[in-house]
Amino acid sequence: MKVRSPLLFLVIVVAISALGSTAALASRAGHASGTATPKRGGSITIARIEDSQSFDKTNVFQNESIWLTEQIMEPLYTVTPDGKSVKPWLATSSKISNGGKTYTFKLRQGVKFSNGKTMTSADVKFSIADAQKQSKGWGYLDAAIKNIATPDPSTVVFHLKYAWAPFLADIALFANGIIPNNWNGEPRAQFYKHPIGTGPFMWDKRVIGQSVTFKRNPFYWQKGKPYLDSVTWSFVTDENTRELQLRGGQIQVDEFPPFNSISKLQHTQGVTMTLFPSTRTDYLDINEQYPPLADAHVRRAISYAIDRKAIVKSVLFGFGKPANSFLPPQVPFYDRNSGGLQLNIAKAKAEMAKSKFPHGFKVTMLVGAGAQVESSMGQILQSAFKPLGITVTFKQEDTSTEFNDVAKQKYQLAFSYWTMDIADPDELVTFAIDPKAGGAHSFYTDYNNPAVINLSHQAQRETNVAKRAKLYNQLQQIAAHDAFLGFLYYSPFRYAYSSKLHGFFVYPLGNYHLEDAWLG
Amino acid sequence: MSLGAYVVRRLLHLVPIALGVTILAFFLIHLVPGDPARTILGNQATDQRVALLRHQWGLDRPLPVQYEKFMGRTVRGDLGTSLFYGVSAGRLVLQRLPVTLWLIGFGALLSVLIAVPLAALAATHRDGIPDHVVRAVPLVGLGFPAFWLGIVLLFVFGLHLGRAFPVGGYGNGFAGHLHSMFLPALTVAFGIAPILVRSLRASLLEVLESDYIVTARSKGLPERRVLARHALRNAVISTVSVLGVNIGYLVGGTLVIEQVYALPGIGQLMINSINQRDFPVVQGVTLVFSVMVVLVYLLTDVAHALLDPRVRFE
Repeated sequence: MKVRSPLLFLVIVVAISALGSTAALASRAGHASGTATPKRGGSITIARIEDSQSFDKTNVFQNESIWLTEQIMEPLYTVTPDGKSVKPWLATSSKISNGGKTYTFKLRQGVKFSNGKTMTSADVKFSIADAQKQSKGWGYLDAAIKNIATPDPSTVVFHLKYAWAPFLADIALFANGIIPNNWNGEPRAQFYKHPIGTGPFMWDKRVIGQSVTFKRNPFYWQKGKPYLDSVTWSFVTDENTRELQLRGGQIQVDEFPPFNSISKLQHTQGVTMTLFPSTRTDYLDINEQYPPLADAHVRRAISYAIDRKAIVKSVLFGFGKPANSFLPPQVPFYDRNSGGLQLNIAKAKAEMAKSKFPHGFKVTMLVGAGAQVESSMGQILQSAFKPLGITVTFKQEDTSTEFNDVAKQKYQLAFSYWTMDIADPDELVTFAIDPKAGGAHSFYTDYNNPAVINLSHQAQRETNVAKRAKLYNQLQQIAAHDAFLGFLYYSPFRYAYSSKLHGFFVYPLGNYHLEDAWLG
Repeated sequence: MSLGAYVVRRLLHLVPIALGVTILAFFLIHLVPGDPARTILGNQATDQRVALLRHQWGLDRPLPVQYEKFMGRTVRGDLGTSLFYGVSAGRLVLQRLPVTLWLIGFGALLSVLIAVPLAALAATHRDGIPDHVVRAVPLVGLGFPAFWLGIVLLFVFGLHLGRAFPVGGYGNGFAGHLHSMFLPALTVAFGIAPILVRSLRASLLEVLESDYIVTARSKGLPERRVLARHALRNAVISTVSVLGVNIGYLVGGTLVIEQVYALPGIGQLMINSINQRDFPVVQGVTLVFSVMVVLVYLLTDVAHALLDPRVRFE
């Protein structure tokens, strides 16, 4: 056909597009309307700001990868919905003996990998031994394991080097998910390009930089689950586009819409906006290498001067809570009466007066370029510190550089955050207050209080829950009084999703069990 | 000089340009603060784990040594391995290239389709109402930033008006690409068309006063034929150069449009790779961008010479 006019071509283009969209609409209309009981079938797309980096569960640190690996590879124990405990998953029970140095697990019968092979103790031994070996990865969390025995195909015995209270929580870590022995006969790197596990979904396809799709595992051990045929995670960097895609039915889940759009999404027809309690805690990092900040009175003055409620109101639009401990409420042994310092200008001034810098000092605050939340918080803190004589100037850096400079302690004040990976405070406590064992100079602050470190070490070995709680309470009290970090706020995990999607639940650690999700 | 010899000579110029680009891209991205190992391992990583990964990637070696290795690989057509994805950087770039080429090509086509009739309308109604409207209205489009225009188009055509177009994405198959890429290409066209309209209108006005046009009219040729066969053909020569220059700029400008429309092109790859300090990919994308710009300018020059017989290849 000879196109005789450019305008005619335009008309053709629009007509083709309209036909395509009609087909797309028809396919969307194919989903049945909601009922109370779970329905089998249908697929969903989850859009998020970052693409997955890797599916090697033992070496990946990116949440956008971790939460996907958990749909394929499952651990022996898993975290409970409140994030504060663990429960049996691929194991049915565990028995502790030998003064807390031996753990014997009984494996669930009839569990199969997505390739149809039955899971045995040999697979468990291989999986966790391999995770432990990963020195660049999560192997350090399995450091307490001395050896693993497999007396029969359904029993696994872990002999520990010492009593280790967080052991069950560590076993529930995604890195300790179970895979087939010897990577199913493939080279390690090849296996993790399309991993196999016992989880509700199995590998389907990936277009790097675009999407990852998992399909239903026909051998899944929870009969009748998962309900969904497949799940696709798409990579959409622009938050406005994600929202429009959700409203247009092109995706079913919008991961982490910005705080300023929560109210609007809560009132958008066909959209469910849920704020799931999380373990995310935001901090003001205080580098003690800068002499004024090494003075505990100055740090206390800073903590007293922070108006956390104002930050929550203006930065999180009210969708958060002021922090009063470096531990979040969704972590076991969090102490609501930890003594975390709250806004009190009179006390802040009194602390400054007691310090070596009663007339104040100049300090530089690192702020991510284009990071609106940090920029707003910085301005709030700048005016809050002014009455104390603390003059804040900003240094803007792109987020990657900022991240690097904080880690290298090339900063004076900076912002950072933490989300938990296990249902035990040990991971965060060690990182935050133990300059040697944590390996990060106490959250990059150089905080070093032997009393706190000693309490942490005692809590690691204490298997009595009540005694352990007491140790962590004490630890939080002292750490709060030392004001080694400015505890800012606790914020939820924000998910906007189609009202047709049911059973979608995000755990405080950020993971989700998509075997329970279904489309109505 | 023949056309073939001219093209070969211009292509040979690519070699020093590409070499210069590799040097700039390599040293600039390595000198910018920020550590890919730290970015990938996250804020919980210890210094030891970061150092181990840097050593594995060879980032602890002196920069000249790293550059030598990079160049050694590049001349063999190997851009290295993406630090973020762990796959071939060259393969990543090549996989994304068609999306960006679609965006640029479709955008350029739409801008021509918009500009030619509007410029003709304005030129043939000089100082009349159509002329004033055509000269003023497209300038409004030029003033809108691409990210804003993109969101508005998505909102209007993706969410309302019968949801005629998908809200972002590249689509599948030729028809799917055509459908999905229409709004992004239109966003591109809104940026270029106003410039083309003004350029083409000015050329047309000049050409329409030429002696040969007067002759054509005096021979009784219909005005439509005079315009299409005689005036436009000559007026379009300078506009080709304007289009070429703008496409050159557009190669860099696709970054924003690809972000807004969630298009997996090399612009989006570039932004993400810079954020992740994925050195091999940043270097690869920069190299491809520079080659694309040079090729667009070469094609523009060739097209100009083919359209205008007075131009000689030298």
